[in-house]
Amino acid sequence: MLEQNERLRPRLLVLGALFVGVLLLLLVRLWTMQVIGGAEYVAQAEQNRIREVTLIAPRGRILDRNGAVLVDNRATKVVLAERSLLDDGVALKRLSDLLGIPTTAIESRILSSPDVAYASHVVMTDASDGVVAYISEHPDLFPNISVEARTVRTYPNGTLAAHVLGYTGTISSEELESEGFIDYNPGDIVGKSGAESQFETVLQGDRGVRTIEVDAVGRLRRVIDSVDPEPGRDVRLTIDIGVQKVAEEALSEAFSAAAGLGYPQADAGAAVAIDIQTGEVLALASAPTFNPEQFIGGISSEDWDAITAKGSGYPLTNRAISSGYAPASTFKAFVGLAGLESGYASSGKSWTCEGSWVKMGTQWKKMCWKHSGHGSVGFERGIAESCDVVFYEIGYDFYRSGEEKLQEYLRTWGYGSRTGIDLPGEISGRVPDAAWKKEFNANYPEYQRWLPGDTVNMSIGQGDVLATPLQIAVTYAGIANDGKVLVPHVFKDVLSENGKTVIESEVKEGATPEFDQGNLDLVQRALRRVVTNGTASSAFRSMDVASAGKTGTAQVAGKEDFALYVGYAPYEDPKYCVAVVIEQGGGGGAVASSAARKVLSALLGLDTGYVSTGVDYSR
Amino acid sequence: MRERKRLYFVNWPLVFVVIALLAFGLLMVRSATTGITGSSGMLRRQMLGIAVGLIPLAIAWRLDYRMFKGAHVPLMVLNAVLILAPRIPGIGVTAKGATSWIVLFGQQFQPSELAKIVTILALASIIERYKGSIEDVWDVVKLVGVLLIPFGLILTQPDLGTGLVFLAIGAGMMLVGGLKAKWFAIAGLIAVLLVGSVLLLDPVLDRRAGRDVLLKDYQMDRLLVFVDETRDPQNSGHNLRQSKIAIGSGELTGKGLGSGTQGNLRFLPEAETDFIFAVLGEELGFTGASLLLGLYLALLMVALDIASRSRDMFGSLVVVGVISMWTFQILENIGMTVGLMPITGIPLPFMSFGSSFMVANLTAVGMLLSVWSRRVGT
Repeated sequence: MLEQNERLRPRLLVLGALFVGVLLLLLVRLWTMQVIGGAEYVAQAEQNRIREVTLIAPRGRILDRNGAVLVDNRATKVVLAERSLLDDGVALKRLSDLLGIPTTAIESRILSSPDVAYASHVVMTDASDGVVAYISEHPDLFPNISVEARTVRTYPNGTLAAHVLGYTGTISSEELESEGFIDYNPGDIVGKSGAESQFETVLQGDRGVRTIEVDAVGRLRRVIDSVDPEPGRDVRLTIDIGVQKVAEEALSEAFSAAAGLGYPQADAGAAVAIDIQTGEVLALASAPTFNPEQFIGGISSEDWDAITAKGSGYPLTNRAISSGYAPASTFKAFVGLAGLESGYASSGKSWTCEGSWVKMGTQWKKMCWKHSGHGSVGFERGIAESCDVVFYEIGYDFYRSGEEKLQEYLRTWGYGSRTGIDLPGEISGRVPDAAWKKEFNANYPEYQRWLPGDTVNMSIGQGDVLATPLQIAVTYAGIANDGKVLVPHVFKDVLSENGKTVIESEVKEGATPEFDQGNLDLVQRALRRVVTNGTASSAFRSMDVASAGKTGTAQVAGKEDFALYVGYAPYEDPKYCVAVVIEQGGGGGAVASSAARKVLSALLGLDTGYVSTGVDYSR
Repeated sequence: MRERKRLYFVNWPLVFVVIALLAFGLLMVRSATTGITGSSGMLRRQMLGIAVGLIPLAIAWRLDYRMFKGAHVPLMVLNAVLILAPRIPGIGVTAKGATSWIVLFGQQFQPSELAKIVTILALASIIERYKGSIEDVWDVVKLVGVLLIPFGLILTQPDLGTGLVFLAIGAGMMLVGGLKAKWFAIAGLIAVLLVGSVLLLDPVLDRRAGRDVLLKDYQMDRLLVFVDETRDPQNSGHNLRQSKIAIGSGELTGKGLGSGTQGNLRFLPEAETDFIFAVLGEELGFTGASLLLGLYLALLMVALDIASRSRDMFGSLVVVGVISMWTFQILENIGMTVGLMPITGIPLPFMSFGSSFMVANLTAVGMLLSVWSRRVGT
C-alpha cells in the first residue's frame, strides 16, 4: 500500500459518507412518499386516469289513452359553453359568428340559465352538422365550448294539451337539494310542470354510468365498466287526443263567438271533460296556452318574460285546475240540494219572483237576472230558468238559521277542497264562512262581520265563493253519478316494453256527500229541464242525445261577465261531464254552453268530424 | 496462466454492478416507452447506445490512464471545443431551449457529456501536482478558474444542470485532492451568497429593465418550483406533481412492470429520460427503488475501493471525479423526481434514455477499469 493512498483514505471516507448520506436522504424521502403517503398518491393517480361518464336515460314518452304520442324524444346536438367564455371576448365573438347568435344573446343564455352554478351552459340546441363539425375540428379556436349529443322533448301535436303535459327543464339547485331528487345530478333534465313533473319518477328512468380510462390528453383508452341506462317508461294518459283537440277548438271558437256578441275581450278560459264512471279526464284545455318547445335547451329570458309578465295573459297557468272562478248559477244545483236536504225547499214549494228581492231591507235590494220577474216559481223551474230570487230565499233561510249548514253541505260535495287530480298546481277553491271572512279581513275590522248578504250572494254562486272548472265538472259528474263523487285523474297506465300494463290507475272515490235520493232525482230532473226548456235550450236544440246541465254568468268586478256551462250526457245513462268557463264571454252562458255542446258531441260520437281516434264514446 | 492474469485485471464486481444497472435501465426504458409510437425503436436505440459505449469503454480500459497526466492544457482546449461545438453552424442543434447538441454522420450527440470526462482528466492532472495538499491561495484561484471555464461555457448553452455537474466534479476532486476545509466553507458561503443574490436580484432587475436580465422567468420558476408547485403549475410544476403521484402511488411493491398508469397513459412527462425514476418508482414501488439505490451503493463502494487502491494520485483523482459526477447526478435526478431538488434536465446514470449520456458513463467505467488494472501490486 502506497503512502499517498494512506493519506487519501480518510478523504475517500468523507466522500463515501457523503454518498451514503445522499442515498439515505433519498431512501427516507421515498419511504415517506411510497409507504406512508402512498394511498393518497394512489387516489390522485386514479383521479388522473378514471373518468365517470353519465349515460343519460331516454325519458319516457307521454301517450294519449289510445297510444297516440303526445310527447316524444328526438336526438339533437347542443352547443355548450363554459362560463369562462365570457372572459374571452375573441372566442365569444367567434362563437357568435359561427352560430349566428348575437354575443349578448350568448351571454344572457349563459348567465340566465337556471344552472348558473354549473360548468357548462347550453347556448344552442339543434346545432347544424356544419357547426358541430367546425367546433369539433377546431378545439383550439373554441377552448371553452363543447358539443354534446342529447335527446330532447318533441311535441308532435304542437301546443296541444300543453298544460296537461307540462314542460321539462334543467334541474334547479333547490330541486337538487330536495328529497324528491336524491339520485339526480346537476344538469339533469326533469319535469317542471304538468304530467312531466307529476310522473317524473316513472318518466325519468335510471342513469347509466360508464367508467373509462383516459390518457393525459383525455383520450379514451378503454372502458373499465359500463352500466347501461334504464330508459324511462312511457306514461299513458286518460286524455283523448281527439277530444282534447275539440275542447281547445271549442274554446277559441267561443272567443270568436263572444267577440261577435260584443265581448271582444274574451280570450281566456278552460274546458274540462271527464268520464263520469271512472273519473278519467278526457280533455283538459286552458287558454291562452304556451309552446312547450320553447323550454327545450332552456328558455330564453325574453321568452320567459313574454309568458310570465303582467299583461301576458299568464299562458302558463292551467286555468282548469289553478284558477278559481265564481261558479255563478252552476252553484244553484248544490245550493238547491242543500235547501231540499234542510227543508228550505221542496218539490212542491214555490216562490214568487217579482224581478227584485228586498227581504234584507230596501237598501239591500237584490235583483233577479230577469228584471220582469219569473212570477210563481217551483224548484224545478227555479233551476231551469235560473231564478235568482228562489236562491236568495233559500240562502236567506240558511242565514237566519244562525248556523253554517249551507257551507258545510257544499263542502261535502268537494267545494273548497282539491279534487285530488294527479297534476301539480291544483287549488282548493273557496267556500266562504264567518271564520274565513274574519281572517281574510284581519286588517279591516269593519269588514269582518258575516252579513246576510254574504250567504245570499253565495247562494247564487257569487260573492266570495270560488271553484275551479275541474271542481265544477267533478261535482256535476257526482250528481250525474247518483251522488258518487270520484277523484279525477289523467294517469291511465304505464306499459312495459312488451306492452303489458305495469301500473294502472284505479277508480277512487272522493267527496262523500249525503242526500236523499228523491232530492237528487229532483235536481237531476231540474238540470235536464235547463236543456229542454231552460237557459240552455237554444244551445242544445235538436241534439241527438239527451243531456242535462246548468248555465252560469259570473259577475267579476271591472270585467265583462264570465260565461259558464257544465253539463253531462247521456241523461239516462250519464257517461261524460263537461265544464266550460269563458272569461269575459258575456252573460247568459251562451258561448260556454255552445262550447260544451261541441265537446259533449265529440265525446258521444255525434260530431265525428272532430274525433279522429275511432273510439266510440256513445256506447 | 496468461488467462488468469487477464481475469485478474478485470474488476468483476464493477462489471457485474454495471451490467445489472444497464439491464435494469433497459427494462425501465422498455416499460416507459411502451404505448408511444416508435417505442421499439427507442429501446433499440438505447441498446445501440450501450453497444457504441462499449467501444470507448474498451479503449479507455486498454489505454494507460497515466498518458493524460500533465496534459491538462490540451485537455482544457479540447473541453472548450466540445462545449462550444454546438455553436458551429451546420452541425450545431438547439433543442428544448439549449444549444447542446451536434449532428455528425446523421447521429445526434451532446458533446458536453464527453466534456465531463475530459474535465475529470484535466482536473486530475492539475490537482495531482499538489501532492495531496492545496493550500496556496493562488492555487485555489487557479483551480476554481479552470473549473469555471467549462461551467461558464455550459451556462451559455444554457444548461444549468450540466454546469452544476462540473461544479460537483470539481468539489469532489478538490476534497480528495487536499483542499482545506476552510476553502470549502468559503466556497460554500460564496455559492450561497451568489445564488441568493441572483434569486433576490433577478425580479428587481427584471422589473427595472422591463425584460429578463439574469434568468429567464421560466428558468426561475423551474428552479424554485420544487419549493412551491404552484409557481409554474402548467409546466414544470405539473411535471413534478405527476412525478410525485407516479412514485407515491407505487407504494411498497409497485403496480407491476408495464402496469404504471402514470407512465403508460403519458401523465408523466419525459418518462423515458429525465423522469425514468418515476416510472420505476410507480411500477416497482419502494422495493424496486431501494434495489436501484442498493445497486448505486454497490457501484460507488466498488469505485471507492478502486480509488483507494490506485497506483498513483492521478488515478485516484480520476476515479473520485467519476464518483462525484455520478453522486451528483443520482442526487439531482432522483431528488428532482421526489421534489427535493430543483428541476434540471439531468438524466439518471445507466438508466435514462440517451446515447451520449450512456457513452460518457461507459467511458467513465472504462477509466475505472483502467485504473484498477494498473493498481498497486500488479
